[in-house]
Amino acid sequence: MTSRTLAYPRPTPANSPSNAATQDDAIRTVTADTFAKLVLDAQGPCAVEFMSYGCAHCREIEPVLEQVAKMVEATEKIFRVNIAVEEELASTYQIQGTPTFVMFLNQNEVGRVEGPSPAVASVLAAVTQPFKS
Amino acid sequence: MIGGPSSAIQKQPKPTPPLPILLFNDECAVCRHIGHWVQRSAQRASGDPAIIVQPIGDNPATLRSLNPDLDIWDAYATIHILMPDGSMRLGGEAVAQVLRILPTTKWFAWCFDTSIFGFRPFQVVLNVAYAILSDVRPLFGCESCGKPKILRPLQWMTQWWKTLTRRKPRPIPTPHFSSLSAATRRPR
Repeated sequence: MTSRTLAYPRPTPANSPSNAATQDDAIRTVTADTFAKLVLDAQGPCAVEFMSYGCAHCREIEPVLEQVAKMVEATEKIFRVNIAVEEELASTYQIQGTPTFVMFLNQNEVGRVEGPSPAVASVLAAVTQPFKS
Repeated sequence: MIGGPSSAIQKQPKPTPPLPILLFNDECAVCRHIGHWVQRSAQRASGDPAIIVQPIGDNPATLRSLNPDLDIWDAYATIHILMPDGSMRLGGEAVAQVLRILPTTKWFAWCFDTSIFGFRPFQVVLNVAYAILSDVRPLFGCESCGKPKILRPLQWMTQWWKTLTRRKPRPIPTPHFSSLSAATRRPR
C-alpha cells in the first residue's frame, strides 16, 4: 500500500471523531481492554453485538439497533464489539458469525441470538427476552 | 545554465500536492480486485502514484479523520473517493473520477462530462453499470456483501430439499447472518 503524508485537515481535539462517536452513538464500542469493566462488571443487563463493519447484515441492522438502544437505554446497555479488531473476544465467546447478540447479566451470559431479522420488534425481543425469564 | 541560482531553485524538492484517496472494501473480492487494478494503473511515468488506494478498514474514527462527513457504513456500502479539496464523490461519480485520474484511462474520461441540456448520458450509463455491479458483486465472490436477493429463494429451496432428504432435519439458517467461515476476518 502506498504510504504518503496526507495534507488533509485533521480534526481538533474538541471535535475529534472519538468524542463525536461517544456523544452521538447510542451504542458504545467496547474493546478487549474495556470489555470486563463495561460489560462484565456492569450493574444491570447488557447486550453486546458482535459485528463487523464489512458485514452487510450488520449494516442492515445498525439503524434498527440504534433505535432499540434508545428504547431500552433506561433499563439495559447495548454495546458493540468489532470482531475484525477484537478477534480474541470473538474467539472467547465462540462467535460463529455476525451479527451475534450476546446478553450478559452479573458477569454471566444469559442469552444469545444470531442474525435477528432487521426489524425493531425482532431486535427488541432479541436483546430483552433473556432478561425476562 | 549550470550552477547558477536558477538551477539551485530547480533542485529543491517540490511540495507534494495532496492526492485523491480511493476507499475500497477489502473484504469484497470484487472491490479488492478493482482496487489493486487502480493501484497498478495509477503509477505515473515519474513513478509517483496519481491516487492513493486505501482499504476502508475497521476504525470509524480513522475514516472521519480523513473527512468528518465520512461514515464507515456508507463507505462499505458504496465506493468513495475523497478529493483533496475536501469533497467526496460516490458510486458512479467516484468511478468516473478515478477514470479521469488514471493515466491509462483519462483519454476517454472526457465523455463523462459531456452534457446535453444538463443530461450527462455517459455518466448515467456509468451510474447504472455501477449500481448493477454493486448489486451482483456477491455472485463474483464478495464474502461480506451478503447474498443477492435473486439467489435467496434458491438457497431456501436447497435447504428445504436437504431437510426433506435427511432423517434429522436441520434448521434453515437465518438469511440475516454472515458466517465467519465466509471471512469477515482477514489475515493481517
